[in-house]
Amino acid sequence: MDGHIFIVQTVLNCLVLGGLFFLIAIGLNIIYGISRVINIAHGSLYALGAYFGYTLVATGLNFMFALILAPLMVAIVGIVIERVILLPTRDRPMVYTLILTYGLMVFMDGLLKYIWGDQILFIHPPDFLSESLTIAGVPYPFYRFFILMATVASMASLYMLIEKTKVGIIMRAASTIPEMVYSLGIDMKLVHVGVFAFGCALAGLGGIIAGPLFTVYPMMGGEMLISCFVVLVVGGLGSIKGVTLAALLIGTVQTLGFVFITDYAMVIVYVMMALILLFMPKGILGEGKFE
Amino acid sequence: MRILELDNIHAYYGDSHVIQGLSLYVDKGEAVSIIGRNGVGKTTTLRSIMGLTPPAQGTIKINGEDSTKWTTNKVVTKGHVAYIPAERHIFPGVTVEENLRIAERKSKKNDQWNLDLIYNKFPILAERRKQDGATLSGGEQQMLAIGRGLMSNPSIMILDEPSQGLAPLIVETVVDTIKQLCKDQTLTLILVEQNYHVAMDLASRHYLMEIKGKIACDMSSQECQEDLDKLIKHLGV
Repeated sequence: MDGHIFIVQTVLNCLVLGGLFFLIAIGLNIIYGISRVINIAHGSLYALGAYFGYTLVATGLNFMFALILAPLMVAIVGIVIERVILLPTRDRPMVYTLILTYGLMVFMDGLLKYIWGDQILFIHPPDFLSESLTIAGVPYPFYRFFILMATVASMASLYMLIEKTKVGIIMRAASTIPEMVYSLGIDMKLVHVGVFAFGCALAGLGGIIAGPLFTVYPMMGGEMLISCFVVLVVGGLGSIKGVTLAALLIGTVQTLGFVFITDYAMVIVYVMMALILLFMPKGILGEGKFE
Repeated sequence: MRILELDNIHAYYGDSHVIQGLSLYVDKGEAVSIIGRNGVGKTTTLRSIMGLTPPAQGTIKINGEDSTKWTTNKVVTKGHVAYIPAERHIFPGVTVEENLRIAERKSKKNDQWNLDLIYNKFPILAERRKQDGATLSGGEQQMLAIGRGLMSNPSIMILDEPSQGLAPLIVETVVDTIKQLCKDQTLTLILVEQNYHVAMDLASRHYLMEIKGKIACDMSSQECQEDLDKLIKHLGV
Protein backbone atom coordinates (compact mmCIF):
# COMPACT_ATOMS: atom_id res chain seq x y z
CA MET A 1 0.00 0.00 0.00
CA ASP A 2 1.13 3.52 -0.73
CA GLY A 3 2.60 4.99 2.49
CA HIS A 4 1.06 8.42 2.10
CA ILE A 5 -2.45 7.07 1.60
CA PHE A 6 -2.05 4.75 4.56
CA ILE A 7 -0.88 7.50 6.91
CA VAL A 8 -3.62 9.98 5.99
CA GLN A 9 -6.36 7.36 6.25
CA THR A 10 -5.07 6.00 9.54
CA VAL A 11 -4.79 9.45 11.12
CA LEU A 12 -8.35 10.24 10.04
CA ASN A 13 -9.60 6.89 11.34
CA CYS A 14 -7.96 7.54 14.72
CA LEU A 15 -9.74 10.90 14.93
CA VAL A 16 -13.09 9.40 13.90
CA LEU A 17 -13.01 6.73 16.60
CA GLY A 18 -11.65 9.21 19.17
CA GLY A 19 -14.41 11.66 18.32
CA LEU A 20 -17.04 9.00 18.76
CA PHE A 21 -15.60 7.99 22.15
CA PHE A 22 -15.66 11.66 23.10
CA LEU A 23 -19.37 12.03 22.32
CA ILE A 24 -20.36 9.09 24.49
CA ALA A 25 -17.81 9.43 27.30
CA ILE A 26 -18.27 13.17 27.81
CA GLY A 27 -21.94 12.71 28.69
CA LEU A 28 -21.08 10.03 31.24
CA ASN A 29 -18.39 12.34 32.57
CA ILE A 30 -20.57 15.45 32.94
CA ILE A 31 -23.32 13.44 34.64
CA TYR A 32 -20.75 12.16 37.14
CA GLY A 33 -19.18 15.59 37.61
CA ILE A 34 -22.44 17.28 38.56
CA SER A 35 -24.72 14.58 39.94
CA ARG A 36 -22.13 12.06 41.20
CA VAL A 37 -23.95 9.30 39.31
CA ILE A 38 -22.09 6.67 37.30
CA ASN A 39 -24.66 5.62 34.77
CA ILE A 40 -23.93 1.99 33.87
CA ALA A 41 -26.84 2.11 31.41
CA HIS A 42 -25.11 4.85 29.39
CA GLY A 43 -23.99 2.33 26.75
CA SER A 44 -27.54 1.04 26.42
CA LEU A 45 -28.72 4.60 25.77
CA TYR A 46 -26.10 4.83 23.04
CA ALA A 47 -27.49 1.61 21.57
CA LEU A 48 -31.02 2.99 21.92
CA GLY A 49 -29.97 6.02 19.85
CA ALA A 50 -28.74 3.69 17.12
CA TYR A 51 -31.96 1.63 17.16
CA PHE A 52 -34.16 4.73 17.14
CA GLY A 53 -32.08 5.98 14.22
CA TYR A 54 -32.52 2.66 12.41
CA THR A 55 -36.30 2.74 12.81
CA LEU A 56 -36.60 6.40 11.83
CA VAL A 57 -34.51 5.93 8.68
CA ALA A 58 -36.21 2.61 7.85
CA THR A 59 -39.62 4.30 7.98
CA GLY A 60 -38.41 6.72 5.31
CA LEU A 61 -37.30 9.71 7.37
CA ASN A 62 -34.38 11.71 6.02
CA PHE A 63 -31.15 10.67 7.79
CA MET A 64 -30.36 14.26 8.69
CA PHE A 65 -33.69 14.65 10.51
CA ALA A 66 -33.16 11.32 12.22
CA LEU A 67 -29.81 12.66 13.40
CA ILE A 68 -31.69 15.33 15.37
CA LEU A 69 -34.79 13.34 16.31
CA ALA A 70 -33.11 10.18 17.66
CA PRO A 71 -30.99 12.04 20.27
CA LEU A 72 -34.09 13.96 21.38
CA MET A 73 -35.97 10.69 21.83
CA VAL A 74 -33.10 9.28 23.89
CA ALA A 75 -33.10 12.49 25.97
CA ILE A 76 -36.79 11.97 26.75
CA VAL A 77 -36.05 8.40 27.87
CA GLY A 78 -33.25 9.94 29.97
CA ILE A 79 -35.66 12.34 31.67
CA VAL A 80 -37.92 9.41 32.61
CA ILE A 81 -34.93 7.45 33.98
CA GLU A 82 -33.77 10.45 36.03
CA ARG A 83 -37.21 11.08 37.52
CA VAL A 84 -38.00 7.42 38.24
CA ILE A 85 -34.74 5.93 39.52
CA LEU A 86 -32.15 8.65 40.13
CA LEU A 87 -34.21 11.38 41.83
CA PRO A 88 -35.47 9.09 44.65
CA THR A 89 -31.91 7.93 45.40
CA ARG A 90 -30.22 11.34 45.17
CA ASP A 91 -29.36 11.55 48.87
CA ARG A 92 -28.15 7.95 49.13
CA PRO A 93 -24.61 6.61 48.67
CA MET A 94 -23.40 6.17 45.11
CA VAL A 95 -23.66 2.39 45.28
CA TYR A 96 -27.47 2.70 45.00
CA THR A 97 -27.31 4.34 41.60
CA LEU A 98 -24.57 1.93 40.52
CA ILE A 99 -26.80 -1.06 41.24
CA LEU A 100 -29.94 0.55 39.89
CA THR A 101 -28.35 1.67 36.62
CA TYR A 102 -26.74 -1.76 36.27
CA GLY A 103 -30.21 -3.28 36.54
CA LEU A 104 -31.46 -0.74 34.05
CA MET A 105 -28.72 -1.75 31.61
CA VAL A 106 -29.72 -5.42 31.81
CA PHE A 107 -33.36 -4.46 31.38
CA MET A 108 -32.73 -2.12 28.45
CA ASP A 109 -30.47 -4.55 26.61
CA GLY A 110 -33.19 -7.17 26.97
CA LEU A 111 -35.80 -4.74 25.77
CA LEU A 112 -33.73 -3.82 22.70
CA LYS A 113 -33.49 -7.51 21.76
CA TYR A 114 -37.20 -7.98 22.41
CA ILE A 115 -38.21 -5.09 20.17
CA TRP A 116 -35.60 -5.18 17.40
CA GLY A 117 -34.43 -8.81 17.56
CA ASP A 118 -30.98 -10.37 17.64
CA GLN A 119 -29.95 -9.75 14.05
CA ILE A 120 -27.55 -7.10 12.84
CA LEU A 121 -29.31 -4.06 11.38
CA PHE A 122 -28.04 -1.48 8.93
CA ILE A 123 -28.68 2.25 8.89
CA HIS A 124 -28.37 3.58 5.35
CA PRO A 125 -26.91 7.05 5.21
CA PRO A 126 -28.12 9.30 2.38
CA ASP A 127 -26.48 8.77 -1.03
CA PHE A 128 -24.28 11.84 -0.95
CA LEU A 129 -22.69 10.61 2.30
CA SER A 130 -21.95 7.20 0.79
CA GLU A 131 -19.49 8.56 -1.72
CA SER A 132 -15.88 9.32 -1.04
CA LEU A 133 -13.97 12.55 -1.11
CA THR A 134 -10.33 13.45 -1.46
CA ILE A 135 -8.42 14.69 1.58
CA ALA A 136 -4.75 15.63 1.10
CA GLY A 137 -4.80 13.77 -2.19
CA VAL A 138 -6.17 10.63 -0.59
CA PRO A 139 -9.67 9.16 -1.15
CA TYR A 140 -11.65 8.89 2.07
CA PRO A 141 -15.25 7.80 2.76
CA PHE A 142 -17.41 10.90 2.98
CA TYR A 143 -19.42 9.40 5.85
CA ARG A 144 -16.37 9.05 8.07
CA PHE A 145 -15.41 12.62 7.30
CA PHE A 146 -18.94 13.64 8.16
CA ILE A 147 -18.62 11.93 11.57
CA LEU A 148 -15.44 13.86 12.15
CA MET A 149 -17.13 17.16 11.34
CA ALA A 150 -20.16 16.31 13.49
CA THR A 151 -18.02 15.47 16.51
CA VAL A 152 -15.84 18.55 16.07
CA ALA A 153 -19.02 20.65 15.90
CA SER A 154 -20.41 18.96 19.04
CA MET A 155 -17.11 19.39 20.84
CA ALA A 156 -16.98 23.11 19.95
CA SER A 157 -20.58 23.74 20.99
CA LEU A 158 -20.04 21.85 24.23
CA TYR A 159 -17.00 23.96 25.08
CA MET A 160 -18.91 27.14 24.21
CA LEU A 161 -21.78 26.00 26.44
CA ILE A 162 -19.48 25.26 29.36
CA GLU A 163 -17.24 28.30 29.06
CA LYS A 164 -19.59 31.05 27.88
CA THR A 165 -23.14 30.47 29.09
CA LYS A 166 -24.75 30.76 32.48
CA VAL A 167 -25.76 27.11 32.27
CA GLY A 168 -22.08 26.29 31.80
CA ILE A 169 -21.07 28.39 34.81
CA ILE A 170 -23.68 26.59 36.90
CA MET A 171 -22.37 23.24 35.67
CA ARG A 172 -18.77 24.12 36.58
CA ALA A 173 -19.79 25.56 39.94
CA ALA A 174 -22.00 22.57 40.75
CA SER A 175 -19.14 20.19 40.10
CA THR A 176 -17.18 21.91 42.90
CA ILE A 177 -19.55 23.08 45.69
CA PRO A 178 -23.07 21.89 44.83
CA GLU A 179 -24.58 23.08 48.10
CA MET A 180 -23.59 26.69 47.41
CA VAL A 181 -25.20 26.51 43.99
CA TYR A 182 -28.61 25.89 45.47
CA SER A 183 -27.92 28.38 48.24
CA LEU A 184 -27.81 30.96 45.43
CA GLY A 185 -31.33 30.11 44.33
CA ILE A 186 -30.56 27.67 41.53
CA ASP A 187 -33.03 24.79 41.20
CA MET A 188 -30.60 21.86 41.37
CA LYS A 189 -33.35 19.34 40.54
CA LEU A 190 -33.62 21.05 37.18
CA VAL A 191 -29.83 21.05 36.77
CA HIS A 192 -29.63 17.31 37.54
CA VAL A 193 -32.38 16.32 35.11
CA GLY A 194 -31.10 18.73 32.45
CA VAL A 195 -27.56 17.41 32.65
CA PHE A 196 -28.75 13.80 32.56
CA ALA A 197 -30.97 14.41 29.54
CA PHE A 198 -28.12 16.24 27.82
CA GLY A 199 -25.70 13.38 28.43
CA CYS A 200 -28.28 10.90 27.12
CA ALA A 201 -28.83 13.01 23.99
CA LEU A 202 -25.07 12.95 23.29
CA ALA A 203 -25.04 9.17 23.74
CA GLY A 204 -28.03 8.90 21.39
CA LEU A 205 -26.26 11.11 18.84
CA GLY A 206 -23.20 8.89 19.10
CA GLY A 207 -25.44 5.86 18.55
CA ILE A 208 -27.08 7.03 15.36
CA ILE A 209 -23.76 8.35 14.02
CA ALA A 210 -22.04 5.03 14.75
CA GLY A 211 -24.90 3.00 13.22
CA PRO A 212 -23.90 3.24 9.55
CA LEU A 213 -20.25 2.68 10.50
CA PHE A 214 -20.36 -0.31 12.85
CA THR A 215 -23.92 -1.61 12.13
CA VAL A 216 -26.56 -1.88 14.85
CA TYR A 217 -26.61 -4.93 17.13
CA PRO A 218 -27.71 -5.73 20.69
CA MET A 219 -24.19 -5.90 22.20
CA MET A 220 -23.06 -2.53 20.89
CA GLY A 221 -24.00 -0.73 24.12
CA GLY A 222 -21.92 -2.96 26.38
CA GLU A 223 -18.86 -2.70 24.14
CA MET A 224 -19.10 1.08 24.01
CA LEU A 225 -19.62 1.31 27.78
CA ILE A 226 -16.36 -0.52 28.42
CA SER A 227 -14.45 1.72 26.01
CA CYS A 228 -15.97 4.77 27.71
CA PHE A 229 -14.90 3.59 31.14
CA VAL A 230 -11.37 3.18 29.82
CA VAL A 231 -11.56 6.75 28.47
CA LEU A 232 -12.85 8.06 31.82
CA VAL A 233 -10.16 6.28 33.81
CA VAL A 234 -7.41 7.53 31.51
CA GLY A 235 -8.80 11.07 31.33
CA GLY A 236 -9.70 11.38 35.00
CA LEU A 237 -13.35 11.12 36.02
CA GLY A 238 -14.92 14.59 36.16
CA SER A 239 -12.25 16.32 34.05
CA ILE A 240 -13.65 17.56 30.75
CA LYS A 241 -10.30 18.39 29.16
CA GLY A 242 -8.77 15.16 30.39
CA VAL A 243 -11.59 13.07 28.97
CA THR A 244 -11.44 14.90 25.62
CA LEU A 245 -7.74 14.11 25.35
CA ALA A 246 -8.22 10.55 26.57
CA ALA A 247 -10.96 9.91 23.99
CA LEU A 248 -8.58 10.89 21.19
CA LEU A 249 -5.77 8.90 22.78
CA ILE A 250 -7.78 5.70 23.18
CA GLY A 251 -9.28 6.15 19.72
CA THR A 252 -5.75 6.37 18.34
CA VAL A 253 -4.32 3.45 20.31
CA GLN A 254 -7.27 1.23 19.44
CA THR A 255 -7.18 2.12 15.73
CA LEU A 256 -3.40 1.60 15.48
CA GLY A 257 -3.73 -1.59 17.49
CA PHE A 258 -6.24 -3.02 15.02
CA VAL A 259 -4.05 -2.03 12.08
CA PHE A 260 -0.84 -3.58 13.40
CA ILE A 261 -1.72 -6.37 15.82
CA THR A 262 -5.41 -7.01 15.28
CA ASP A 263 -5.83 -9.82 17.81
CA TYR A 264 -4.19 -7.97 20.69
CA ALA A 265 -5.47 -4.46 20.03
CA MET A 266 -7.67 -4.35 23.12
CA VAL A 267 -4.89 -5.83 25.25
CA ILE A 268 -2.77 -2.77 24.50
CA VAL A 269 -5.66 -0.51 25.47
CA TYR A 270 -6.16 -2.27 28.81
CA VAL A 271 -2.47 -2.42 29.61
CA MET A 272 -2.32 1.30 29.00
CA MET A 273 -5.29 1.87 31.28
CA ALA A 274 -3.71 -0.27 34.00
CA LEU A 275 -0.45 1.68 33.80
CA ILE A 276 -2.27 5.00 34.01
CA LEU A 277 -4.29 3.76 36.99
CA LEU A 278 -1.06 2.69 38.65
CA PHE A 279 1.00 5.82 38.04
CA MET A 280 -1.59 8.56 37.39
CA PRO A 281 -4.70 7.60 39.34
CA LYS A 282 -6.22 11.03 38.70
CA GLY A 283 -5.92 10.69 34.93
CA ILE A 284 -3.52 12.08 32.36
CA LEU A 285 -4.09 15.68 33.42
CA GLY A 286 -4.32 14.91 37.13
CA GLU A 287 -7.77 16.56 37.27
CA GLY A 288 -9.87 13.52 38.17
CA LYS A 289 -12.42 13.98 40.93
CA PHE A 290 -13.27 10.41 41.87
CA GLU A 291 -14.42 10.18 45.49
CA MET B 1 -43.51 43.66 61.09
CA ARG B 2 -42.02 40.18 61.53
CA ILE B 3 -39.99 39.25 58.43
CA LEU B 4 -38.71 36.00 59.94
CA GLU B 5 -40.09 33.85 62.71
CA LEU B 6 -38.80 30.55 64.09
CA ASP B 7 -41.19 28.71 66.36
CA ASN B 8 -39.97 25.80 68.51
CA ILE B 9 -37.49 24.41 65.96
CA HIS B 10 -35.87 21.01 66.41
CA ALA B 11 -33.06 20.03 64.05
CA TYR B 12 -30.83 16.97 63.71
CA TYR B 13 -27.50 16.16 62.12
CA GLY B 14 -27.88 12.45 61.53
CA ASP B 15 -28.79 11.08 64.96
CA SER B 16 -27.57 14.02 66.99
CA HIS B 17 -30.28 16.37 68.15
CA VAL B 18 -28.49 19.68 67.59
CA ILE B 19 -31.29 22.17 68.13
CA GLN B 20 -33.93 21.45 70.74
CA GLY B 21 -36.79 23.91 70.66
CA LEU B 22 -35.48 27.21 69.34
CA SER B 23 -37.72 30.22 68.86
CA LEU B 24 -36.71 33.65 67.64
CA TYR B 25 -37.97 36.45 65.45
CA VAL B 26 -36.55 39.24 63.32
CA ASP B 27 -38.41 42.40 62.33
CA LYS B 28 -38.22 44.00 58.91
CA GLY B 29 -35.16 46.23 58.57
CA GLU B 30 -33.66 44.99 61.82
CA ALA B 31 -30.10 43.78 62.28
CA VAL B 32 -29.98 40.84 64.67
CA SER B 33 -27.07 38.73 65.79
CA ILE B 34 -26.89 35.24 67.24
CA ILE B 35 -23.98 34.99 69.66
CA GLY B 36 -22.68 31.86 71.31
CA ARG B 37 -19.81 29.46 71.71
CA ASN B 38 -18.63 26.96 69.14
CA GLY B 39 -21.02 24.11 68.53
CA VAL B 40 -24.14 25.50 70.19
CA GLY B 41 -26.09 25.33 66.91
CA LYS B 42 -25.74 28.82 65.45
CA THR B 43 -24.84 27.66 61.95
CA THR B 44 -27.46 24.90 62.11
CA THR B 45 -30.06 27.57 62.89
CA LEU B 46 -29.08 29.43 59.72
CA ARG B 47 -29.06 26.19 57.72
CA SER B 48 -32.56 25.41 58.97
CA ILE B 49 -33.81 28.79 57.79
CA MET B 50 -32.21 28.12 54.39
CA GLY B 51 -33.75 24.66 54.07
CA LEU B 52 -30.28 23.10 53.97
CA THR B 53 -30.88 21.27 57.27
CA PRO B 54 -34.67 21.29 57.37
CA PRO B 55 -36.11 21.20 60.89
CA ALA B 56 -37.73 17.95 62.01
CA GLN B 57 -40.25 19.86 64.12
CA GLY B 58 -41.45 23.41 64.50
CA THR B 59 -42.25 26.09 61.93
CA ILE B 60 -40.33 28.79 60.13
CA LYS B 61 -42.14 31.75 58.62
CA ILE B 62 -40.65 34.16 56.11
CA ASN B 63 -42.77 37.27 55.51
CA GLY B 64 -45.61 35.56 57.33
CA GLU B 65 -45.58 32.56 55.00
CA ASP B 66 -44.81 29.09 56.29
CA SER B 67 -41.44 28.24 54.70
CA THR B 68 -40.60 25.18 56.82
CA LYS B 69 -40.89 22.78 53.90
CA TRP B 70 -39.47 25.09 51.22
CA THR B 71 -36.48 23.93 49.19
CA THR B 72 -33.36 26.05 49.45
CA ASN B 73 -33.83 27.64 46.05
CA LYS B 74 -37.39 28.60 46.99
CA VAL B 75 -36.14 30.26 50.19
CA VAL B 76 -33.78 32.30 48.02
CA THR B 77 -36.13 33.12 45.14
CA LYS B 78 -39.46 33.40 46.92
CA GLY B 79 -38.32 34.37 50.39
CA HIS B 80 -35.66 36.75 49.04
CA VAL B 81 -33.04 35.45 51.45
CA ALA B 82 -29.30 35.53 50.69
CA TYR B 83 -27.03 33.18 52.63
CA ILE B 84 -23.32 33.82 53.00
CA PRO B 85 -21.73 30.83 54.73
CA ALA B 86 -18.69 31.12 56.98
CA GLU B 87 -16.59 29.20 54.44
CA ARG B 88 -17.72 31.77 51.81
CA HIS B 89 -17.77 28.96 49.23
CA ILE B 90 -16.32 30.90 46.34
CA PHE B 91 -16.38 28.50 43.37
CA PRO B 92 -12.84 27.53 42.35
CA GLY B 93 -12.03 27.39 38.65
CA VAL B 94 -14.75 29.97 38.05
CA THR B 95 -13.87 33.65 37.55
CA VAL B 96 -14.96 36.44 39.90
CA GLU B 97 -17.42 37.70 37.31
CA GLU B 98 -18.84 34.22 36.74
CA ASN B 99 -19.18 33.74 40.50
CA LEU B 100 -21.40 36.82 40.48
CA ARG B 101 -23.32 35.87 37.36
CA ILE B 102 -24.47 32.55 38.81
CA ALA B 103 -26.65 34.40 41.31
CA GLU B 104 -27.90 36.98 38.79
CA ARG B 105 -31.66 37.15 38.62
CA LYS B 106 -33.76 38.97 36.09
CA SER B 107 -36.61 40.90 37.68
CA LYS B 108 -38.77 43.79 36.60
CA LYS B 109 -38.07 45.97 39.60
CA ASN B 110 -35.72 48.91 39.15
CA ASP B 111 -33.96 48.69 42.48
CA GLN B 112 -32.23 45.45 41.56
CA TRP B 113 -28.54 44.67 41.73
CA ASN B 114 -26.54 43.98 38.61
CA LEU B 115 -22.86 43.50 37.77
CA ASP B 116 -22.19 47.22 37.30
CA LEU B 117 -23.68 48.17 40.65
CA ILE B 118 -21.71 45.43 42.41
CA TYR B 119 -18.48 46.58 40.74
CA ASN B 120 -19.32 50.11 41.78
CA LYS B 121 -19.76 49.05 45.36
CA PHE B 122 -16.73 46.71 45.37
CA PRO B 123 -14.11 48.19 43.01
CA ILE B 124 -11.65 45.45 43.95
CA LEU B 125 -13.98 42.86 42.36
CA ALA B 126 -14.04 44.84 39.11
CA GLU B 127 -10.26 44.82 39.12
CA ARG B 128 -10.18 41.07 39.62
CA ARG B 129 -13.18 40.18 37.44
CA LYS B 130 -11.29 37.81 35.13
CA GLN B 131 -9.37 36.12 37.96
CA ASP B 132 -10.16 32.67 39.36
CA GLY B 133 -12.27 33.25 42.49
CA ALA B 134 -10.08 30.88 44.47
CA THR B 135 -7.02 33.11 44.02
CA LEU B 136 -8.58 36.02 45.94
CA SER B 137 -7.45 36.92 49.46
CA GLY B 138 -9.75 36.18 52.41
CA GLY B 139 -11.09 39.72 52.57
CA GLU B 140 -11.68 39.86 48.82
CA GLN B 141 -13.43 36.50 48.94
CA GLN B 142 -15.72 37.83 51.67
CA MET B 143 -16.53 40.87 49.49
CA LEU B 144 -17.22 38.53 46.57
CA ALA B 145 -19.43 36.32 48.74
CA ILE B 146 -21.42 39.36 49.87
CA GLY B 147 -21.61 40.75 46.33
CA ARG B 148 -22.75 37.36 45.05
CA GLY B 149 -25.43 37.24 47.74
CA LEU B 150 -26.66 40.70 46.71
CA MET B 151 -27.01 39.62 43.07
CA SER B 152 -30.17 37.71 43.97
CA ASN B 153 -31.73 40.96 45.28
CA PRO B 154 -32.40 39.78 48.82
CA SER B 155 -34.49 41.50 51.45
CA ILE B 156 -32.92 39.34 54.17
CA MET B 157 -29.19 38.75 54.32
CA ILE B 158 -27.87 35.92 56.47
CA LEU B 159 -24.19 36.18 57.32
CA ASP B 160 -22.34 33.38 59.06
CA GLU B 161 -19.20 34.65 60.83
CA PRO B 162 -18.18 37.32 58.32
CA SER B 163 -15.06 38.06 60.39
CA GLN B 164 -13.79 34.46 60.47
CA GLY B 165 -10.16 34.10 59.44
CA LEU B 166 -9.71 37.76 58.53
CA ALA B 167 -7.06 40.18 59.80
CA PRO B 168 -8.45 42.89 62.15
CA LEU B 169 -7.99 45.64 59.59
CA ILE B 170 -9.85 43.64 56.94
CA VAL B 171 -12.62 42.87 59.43
CA GLU B 172 -13.11 46.61 59.81
CA THR B 173 -13.51 47.07 56.06
CA VAL B 174 -15.97 44.19 55.83
CA VAL B 175 -17.99 45.55 58.76
CA ASP B 176 -18.09 49.03 57.21
CA THR B 177 -19.28 47.58 53.92
CA ILE B 178 -22.06 45.60 55.56
CA LYS B 179 -23.12 48.60 57.65
CA GLN B 180 -23.34 50.76 54.59
CA LEU B 181 -25.36 48.16 52.73
CA CYS B 182 -27.86 47.94 55.57
CA LYS B 183 -28.20 51.71 55.55
CA ASP B 184 -28.53 52.17 51.78
CA GLN B 185 -30.74 49.18 51.11
CA THR B 186 -33.69 48.11 53.16
CA LEU B 187 -31.89 44.95 54.12
CA THR B 188 -32.70 42.88 57.15
CA LEU B 189 -29.55 41.39 58.59
CA ILE B 190 -29.14 38.13 60.50
CA LEU B 191 -25.66 37.59 61.74
CA VAL B 192 -23.86 34.79 63.52
CA GLU B 193 -20.69 35.88 65.28
CA GLN B 194 -18.17 34.81 67.87
CA ASN B 195 -16.41 38.14 67.69
CA TYR B 196 -18.77 40.20 69.88
CA HIS B 197 -17.22 43.48 68.79
CA VAL B 198 -18.37 42.77 65.27
CA ALA B 199 -21.79 41.68 66.52
CA MET B 200 -22.20 44.86 68.61
CA ASP B 201 -21.04 46.96 65.71
CA LEU B 202 -23.43 45.51 63.15
CA ALA B 203 -26.53 44.42 65.02
CA SER B 204 -28.87 46.22 67.38
CA ARG B 205 -30.40 43.18 69.03
CA HIS B 206 -28.63 39.98 70.11
CA TYR B 207 -29.71 36.46 70.89
CA LEU B 208 -27.38 34.68 73.29
CA MET B 209 -27.42 31.02 72.38
CA GLU B 210 -26.59 28.17 74.76
CA ILE B 211 -25.90 24.54 74.02
CA LYS B 212 -28.51 22.71 71.85
CA GLY B 213 -29.83 25.95 70.40
CA LYS B 214 -31.43 27.22 73.60
CA ILE B 215 -31.84 30.97 73.64
CA ALA B 216 -30.66 32.28 77.03
CA CYS B 217 -31.79 35.82 76.43
CA ASP B 218 -32.48 38.50 73.89
CA MET B 219 -30.66 41.79 74.57
CA SER B 220 -30.23 45.14 72.88
CA SER B 221 -26.70 46.38 72.22
CA GLN B 222 -27.04 48.76 75.15
CA GLU B 223 -28.09 46.00 77.54
CA CYS B 224 -25.12 44.00 76.36
CA GLN B 225 -22.74 46.85 77.09
CA GLU B 226 -24.20 47.20 80.57
CA ASP B 227 -24.06 43.49 81.23
CA LEU B 228 -20.77 42.56 79.63
CA ASP B 229 -20.22 39.84 82.25
CA LYS B 230 -23.22 37.92 81.02
CA LEU B 231 -22.07 38.25 77.42
CA ILE B 232 -18.56 37.12 78.21
CA LYS B 233 -19.88 34.15 80.18
CA HIS B 234 -21.81 33.03 77.09
CA LEU B 235 -18.96 33.50 74.73
CA GLY B 236 -16.44 31.94 77.07
CA VAL B 237 -13.85 34.57 76.24
